Amino acid sequence: MNDFLNQFLIECREIVEQAAADLLALEKSPRDAQLLDGVFRAFHTLKGSAGIVEFAAMEQAVHATENLLSGARATGEPISAELVAACLACLDRVLGWLDTIERTGELPAVTELSVPDPAAQTSGAEGHHWLREHLTRNAAAAGRARSAVRFIPDADCFFEGEDPIARILGLPQLLAFDTATVNEWPALSAFDPYRCNLILTALTAAPPEALARHMTGCAGECEILAVAARQPIESGQLGPRAREVLEAQIALLDETRPRILPGRIAAAGLTAANVMRFSAQDATAETFAEATQRSLAEKTIQPLREAIARILEGAAAGNAPTPVAAARIEAGSRTLRIDAARIDTLVRLTSELTVAKNALGHLVKVARTQANPMAGSLKNQHELLERLVAQVQASVLGLRVLPLRSVFQRFPRVLREMSSSLDKQVRLEIEGEETEADKTIVEILFEPLLHIIRNSIDHGVESPDERARRGKSPTAIIQLRAKRQSDHVLIEVSDDGGGIDLARVREVARTRAVATEEALRAMSEAELVNLIFAPGFSTASTVTELSGRGVGMDAVRAAVERIGGRVSVTTRAGLGTTVSVLLPFSVMMTRILTVEAGGQLYGIPLDAIAETVRVPVTSIAGIGASRAIVVRERTIPVIALAGELGMGQGAGHDTEATIVIADVAGLVGGIQVERVGEQMEAILQPLDGLLAGTPGITGTTLLGDGRVLLVLDIGALLQ
Amino acid sequence: MTVHLLDTGVIELTGACPSEDAETLLQQLLLAPDAQVDWRSCESAHTAVIQVLLLARPRMLGAAAGPGLREWVQPLLGGGGGDG
Repeated sequence: MNDFLNQFLIECREIVEQAAADLLALEKSPRDAQLLDGVFRAFHTLKGSAGIVEFAAMEQAVHATENLLSGARATGEPISAELVAACLACLDRVLGWLDTIERTGELPAVTELSVPDPAAQTSGAEGHHWLREHLTRNAAAAGRARSAVRFIPDADCFFEGEDPIARILGLPQLLAFDTATVNEWPALSAFDPYRCNLILTALTAAPPEALARHMTGCAGECEILAVAARQPIESGQLGPRAREVLEAQIALLDETRPRILPGRIAAAGLTAANVMRFSAQDATAETFAEATQRSLAEKTIQPLREAIARILEGAAAGNAPTPVAAARIEAGSRTLRIDAARIDTLVRLTSELTVAKNALGHLVKVARTQANPMAGSLKNQHELLERLVAQVQASVLGLRVLPLRSVFQRFPRVLREMSSSLDKQVRLEIEGEETEADKTIVEILFEPLLHIIRNSIDHGVESPDERARRGKSPTAIIQLRAKRQSDHVLIEVSDDGGGIDLARVREVARTRAVATEEALRAMSEAELVNLIFAPGFSTASTVTELSGRGVGMDAVRAAVERIGGRVSVTTRAGLGTTVSVLLPFSVMMTRILTVEAGGQLYGIPLDAIAETVRVPVTSIAGIGASRAIVVRERTIPVIALAGELGMGQGAGHDTEATIVIADVAGLVGGIQVERVGEQMEAILQPLDGLLAGTPGITGTTLLGDGRVLLVLDIGALLQ
Repeated sequence: MTVHLLDTGVIELTGACPSEDAETLLQQLLLAPDAQVDWRSCESAHTAVIQVLLLARPRMLGAAAGPGLREWVQPLLGGGGGDG
């Protein structure tokens, strides 16, 4: 992908993110003009960016939405939910395109837009001179105008049955109409009457949407713009064009000869007043009108000339940039945009640095066992290096950190759709969206969270009738909370629904053979409720559009565990359910314990280990084909790691057995090993190539002496 | 036919003038460049016809019958009876 596109992707994603956040905020406070401005700017920038990379489809789509927005801006009325939805839909479409670009490295070939939109034709960043001119020429109508249209019919449009002027004159609430020519008029004798040479412009008091409907199917190029409500330009400020016009009037007045004086004064006065009306400075316009009358009465240009000059001077003094703009520029220059790939390179280099440091650690150990005189200072240097590497690592990983906002902010939208399609009223409360986590985690998080929330709405939240019967508010509340817990990020999804029906869980687990009868009887309530994460479990009594897609909560668990997280659920009958997802803050560092089995060294992630015990071999009892030990009155199944991995039984002559007791998502089991080694921090490399997907192995890491350590997937082994 | 060259040298537009009238109107204006155009009984005119008027700028007689023409097109042609 070329740099241009790359930059485009990065920028657009940022803008879309911000715009989506603003839109959702706007939905809550539909009168917030600042938010609306922000959204409008975002769409405008998106359009510009699309233009730069020549992605016409996106440019058109964004432009059409931008028109709707500017229409809304012009009316000054609160923003409707439909408009927000339309904007969000447009952003979704843009995101889809961005994904395609990212995947293919090319602009997607989009030829048709789902809504044929005549407003989609754009003249780009020309600044819509025509609109300004049109408004200035029709100052009287400009005040009531809500939208403007410029229609350049195709030259041969008459043959397509198009009657452009009739079409324009048929516009709803037409306020002004004007024509111009595409090319200069030829001589009458050279003129082809069946070629259209006209440019039609019109102002209407109807919203842009109405114009768009009216212009649909027109043969030609059509641009519809919303006319911004005449925003009073801060007193003492003039737009550059207004300034230009006023200055021109002074020049005109100055060169006026006595003979044409009254006409000139009247014309200049009217123009100046119109300019001010167009700038929504009606008071000044009145001043000009009065000055004009005085000038006419006194037959001298002075009163009018002075009035105009005064306004121009005042404007010059008040044209300093506003502090707000200055602050924004400063904030912008403090951030640096870096390609994620460069940061990944840095992360990789740092992990190699860690491996080198571990190798030095190994050397230190060797030196000490050999009583090398260098051992002491080597050890000191190693410790220093260890500290520095840890710091470098933390900073580098810190670069990959993203706030969860980028994921969380996608949910309000999703939730609205879900709650309406399920006919349940749900409000989403988000807490701690500023909590940060590693980019990899943040990016993976959306789907699992989406599924959890879906489940909450679908199965947790009762129907409004049911809620009313239980004395709850008809609107259910789903809370999405995130907080940092030392090395982890805890994300909780809570609903105030009916809670999980344990009896039903038990019944379903039995009928779908998720767990055996005995196992079910032995389970505590907490264990029972966590069965919803078991493969093949789903309590949906009716298959719904949302949850009944054959992926259950087991998919959630799999996704979360794949990135080293854990998921659990607590529920209180009638009060609600909370699903907790505990994720590592960063995926890169894993603390592992090395163990030996069958003469080979393996790693076990420390967070899977509950404890390590040494028990007499005789205490391992055979139960059918399997074996188990009793630890603190609890029976724990035991597997021999060497046997499980097909390494044959290791030296089985010891009288004592070393058993690592692991606990993965409530699944407890003992793993018999020959020896427990050391704890270390490692950067896990996922298995790839031929080894990808090897069951029972989550990844590998390099040991200090260069050997590859296979790190076990305890969850898979215990199952 | 909604375009007629009257004996008085006035071109008359009547009723709803379709696009084909543009050619006729143009020919007549070419033959008699100073002819006046009487559109007092013209209800509407196709863009092609209006375009010829915009180019040739003949002197328009009276106000058009159709309100659309009267309100929006007439001002562009310098008004009825003006010295355009």
